[in-house]
Amino acid sequence: MSSLFKPSSNTRFRMALVALAVLFGGGLIAGPMIYVRTPYYQQMQDPIDQPVQFDHRHHVGDEGIDCRYCHYLVEKSPNAGVPPTSVCLNCHAQIWNKSPKLAPVREAYFADRPIVWNKVNKLPHFVYFNHSIHVKQGVGCVTCHGRIDEMPAVEKGEPLTMGWCLDCHRAPEKFLRPRDQVTNMTWKPKDQLEIGRALKEQYHVQTRVSCTTCHR
Amino acid sequence: MKLPIWRSVDELQKPPDPCRELGPEAPEELSRRGILQLLGASAAMATLGGCLKPPDEKILPYTRQPPEITPGNPLHYATCSTLDGRATGLLVTASEGRPTKIEGSPEHPSSRGAIGVLEQAELMRLYDPQRLKVVQYQNQPRSWRDFLGATVANARILRDRGGEGLRFLMEPSSSPLIGHLRQRLIEAYPKARFSSWAAMPLQQIHDGSQLAFGGAYETRIDLSKATVLCSLDADLLSAMPGTVPNMKAWAAKRDPAIGPMARLYAVETNLTVTGMNADHRLRVKPTDVQRFGFALLGRLASQVPLLARYAPLAQKFALSPQNARFADVLAKDLARAGRGALVAVGPRQPPALHAAAHAINSALNSDCAAQAKPVLHDLDSGPRALRQLAEEMRAGRVDTLVITAWNPAYGAPADLNFGKALSQIPHSVYRTLYADETADRAGWVVPALHPLESWGDARAHDGTVTFQQPLISPLYAGAGEAEVLAAFLGEGDRTTYTQLREFWKSTAQDDLTWEKWIADGFIDGTATRPETPLVRHDAIFSEAMKAAPAETIPGFEINIVPDYRVWDGRFANVAWLQELPDPVTKLTWENGALMSPATAAALGVTQGDVVNLGRRGPPATAPAIIAPGHADGCVTVSMGYGRRGAGEGLCRGLGFDTATLRHEQGHWFGPGLTVTPLGRKERIAQTQEHHSMEGRTIAVSTTLRKLKQTQEELAEHRGPPLSYHAPQEYPGHKWGMAIDLSRCTGCNACMVACQAENNVPVVGKERVWRSREMHWLRVDRYFIGELENPGVVFQPLMCVHCEYAPCEYVCPVNATVHSDEGLNEMVYNRCVGTRYCSNNCPYKVRRFNFFSYTSDYTDVEKMAFNPDVTVRSRGVMEKCTYCVQRIERARIRTRVQGREMRDGDVVTACQQACPADAIVFGDLNDPRARVTTSSADERRYDLLHELGTRPRTAYLARVTNPNPELA
Repeated sequence: MSSLFKPSSNTRFRMALVALAVLFGGGLIAGPMIYVRTPYYQQMQDPIDQPVQFDHRHHVGDEGIDCRYCHYLVEKSPNAGVPPTSVCLNCHAQIWNKSPKLAPVREAYFADRPIVWNKVNKLPHFVYFNHSIHVKQGVGCVTCHGRIDEMPAVEKGEPLTMGWCLDCHRAPEKFLRPRDQVTNMTWKPKDQLEIGRALKEQYHVQTRVSCTTCHR
Repeated sequence: MKLPIWRSVDELQKPPDPCRELGPEAPEELSRRGILQLLGASAAMATLGGCLKPPDEKILPYTRQPPEITPGNPLHYATCSTLDGRATGLLVTASEGRPTKIEGSPEHPSSRGAIGVLEQAELMRLYDPQRLKVVQYQNQPRSWRDFLGATVANARILRDRGGEGLRFLMEPSSSPLIGHLRQRLIEAYPKARFSSWAAMPLQQIHDGSQLAFGGAYETRIDLSKATVLCSLDADLLSAMPGTVPNMKAWAAKRDPAIGPMARLYAVETNLTVTGMNADHRLRVKPTDVQRFGFALLGRLASQVPLLARYAPLAQKFALSPQNARFADVLAKDLARAGRGALVAVGPRQPPALHAAAHAINSALNSDCAAQAKPVLHDLDSGPRALRQLAEEMRAGRVDTLVITAWNPAYGAPADLNFGKALSQIPHSVYRTLYADETADRAGWVVPALHPLESWGDARAHDGTVTFQQPLISPLYAGAGEAEVLAAFLGEGDRTTYTQLREFWKSTAQDDLTWEKWIADGFIDGTATRPETPLVRHDAIFSEAMKAAPAETIPGFEINIVPDYRVWDGRFANVAWLQELPDPVTKLTWENGALMSPATAAALGVTQGDVVNLGRRGPPATAPAIIAPGHADGCVTVSMGYGRRGAGEGLCRGLGFDTATLRHEQGHWFGPGLTVTPLGRKERIAQTQEHHSMEGRTIAVSTTLRKLKQTQEELAEHRGPPLSYHAPQEYPGHKWGMAIDLSRCTGCNACMVACQAENNVPVVGKERVWRSREMHWLRVDRYFIGELENPGVVFQPLMCVHCEYAPCEYVCPVNATVHSDEGLNEMVYNRCVGTRYCSNNCPYKVRRFNFFSYTSDYTDVEKMAFNPDVTVRSRGVMEKCTYCVQRIERARIRTRVQGREMRDGDVVTACQQACPADAIVFGDLNDPRARVTTSSADERRYDLLHELGTRPRTAYLARVTNPNPELA
């Protein structure tokens, strides 16, 4: 009587075991690696509700207000600066001053209580990012924050992971733009590399990738 | 013959056991299996933690942005802190409205940016969650309004009686505003009396000048012209208020490259910071300091014609042959130095000795000492004035007592029984920062405002009017001193600011002047003018002749000193200071009974043996600490410990109280001490036995005569080591540091600065036992030579940022790496806590977070954190970063301004704090940078150069200037 399993069954069984281990092990490692790279984990494409329905699409896109009118610290401070409530009232004391949508703003202003905004672009607390130097060296707002002028409610435009930061820190020429175009949402160069290299030279941009550049 | 170098008596007397410092590493109660289980569990938890999304965060903008504030950029304000009535100018950093760092105000004419440990630690007192938070009456909470109501009612009765029975016991003060209020109070209550109390009074200085000049004066010391300095128990070189400006001038005199070196003789009982820096040091019993001073004056009689009449003093105060030789040489050196000579006397010494020093300094025409009118309102703030008040209190002549002095029930000498007398006063008011011993016995207890919360004014040590301005709204309900006093004028609702502005209105008419004063922090040109009063030699001579030529009471002598960390005890609740090692004994978290090795041997005690110290009263129980360099036959204890106050949880029960050893007569020292060993031992938290360097060339000290030879020897300890590798290039910045051991006085100011700047946690006494203190920067102290009176050399040591760093080779996760500018970086978020790096570090400068030391901080304590530095969690290694956050801030600031970084743009916290300019930091690629010139000095050497680590921190050998005649 011939045996139930041929001698080659042993080899097949072993190969199947190995294949299973590779698949399962790979899944265990690759799965989380893929997961943390998904926009879901990175909290992108997820418009955040705010206490006031502030529409950047309208203010930036339609009205063409420069980013720095409200985020006026961006050139001199590590923080871009969420505007003080008084800045809203600069215009809205005159226009839409009875709109119910702006009631929370007026309440906050007259009660002298801050509006509690929800943070969209969160960095871990061991990361020290400085807006002023990036703006000074010609990194555009849109490069990190996406097309704010097309967002009714602001969402995270880029992953803001360390690898993503390093893409630019290693090769800034791929992203640099002239200083006068920093707040421009639609600026497109003909040849980014060529203009980037020239600007890197002109602005003395350093490729800083030491850990303490950001972690202190 | 090569002198042995040692750090403790144990090390000198027995060969080091290689395992000596390895205590139990893991907590004993855990089994190996338990550890593995916990390890597995924490790995699983960490994995799960990685799946979580970051928590939601909120942004709260201003409603109306104050114009001066740029969120994200810190602001700096000039203000001052006052200790014992005299102000030190400060420049305080505020980040988003909370003070985070205290530095010296560089423009202040008195201190010129120098600052000591106590002023820096004010930050921790501000955020102390144990501060008194509400007004209390007989331990029941009340409101400020209640206090005002009660005070007004009481004041009406007092006013009718002309103020009879109204007494004020004030913190010594030089404040013009307080002076004005006192005047007004005396007008309203003609029979009221004011007195001052401080445990460290300047009364004997004033008495001494009264004797010498017939009027009260304070000596302004200027060491920039000194060539020969004799310190009679004067601790001029410790970073304490009033002495910090001296340190910079002195440091310049100890750099052989700058000019002729000065020479320092110290005569003292216990080894002090000044004694550690002395070229020649004589240890004498505390009562003998005065006799030595008189003998010195007698010897100078033959050399200085103006002092001829003092010749009999030399015979009357006979010295032992050894001391006589010291005095002979010192007298000759002082006479030779002439205008460059200075005899300085400490505030603990009797008036006659102060007068004798005035006689010497004026006869030698010394440029280093000038007399000026005292700045304090009350010249007598010592035990004598307090006795008068205590007697009145006991006699029932005091109806209302207002106390703004710091804790007299604790600080007063025991024989005054002040605490008991206080509890019998019908109406008492005590203004305090903490619910302390005095608050337990007072009726009304009013929380004090911290100096960073309140307005005020004071005079600096040179008399310059200095302003104090708040950087933060009061954290708790509290009142300023002026507000408590104004309550008795029926003006309790007027804030200190209103009073201050109104008072100065007469001088500053317009707001611009006023605002300039507040912005500067002082009024320029208001220093008291030096005067040249005539010396009354006859009075001094007859007073000196009255002193006994020898101590008649046999037995031990007690010597009580203010503590280098907690002063008289008012800083005892500051954790930074409790964990700061004493600069001399390296003791933390307690005080001890310091005695010389010979005395200890005679008593049969060793380190840590508990002894009873008795002096006509209940004994104090203290652990013995063998202190090399201490005088024989006496015991030194420091004040400020043994606290019993209800509200001071941190310091309660630490150390022992010295009140029973202090008497009104002999507040500081005196004979009649009994020492009884109790036959048990106590474990002492000393950092001195840690961080052994096992006898290699570490802290180099040489003499001026041997300097050439040492420089040649040091050539082996610098320069590029042999290496297979091509040297690494650093084309951009190349950060480096140079530490001049000749300038360093070992004062510890840098340690507190580093702790404040870098959010360095405090770990507690038990963990100091296990050598787990977290200081990134430590000051090592090595003894040289004989056991009884050794020389001392100290060395501030933090990460030296090796170019070939041994820690980097062994890190399995690349958590410590090198930057393109040569910094040895520590990346906390990569670190998994293997501690290989620490084991492989030859300098032992890495610190490991065995626990999360900051997780139980209250919200108020967290406000002290520097927002530019990560607060480290459990399980990560940390170490000095060369203040990389300051480098990066300076880089961004200069680049946004569109310029390159210059020398001086980056100042590390330790460098900024160093009152002696011993630390310089900068770019080694900049040929004009100070650090480059310092590193090229002939005295430069690299620590453990033979290991080839190429440290970026260069040390400059210490040079002393001993007198060949005393060799």
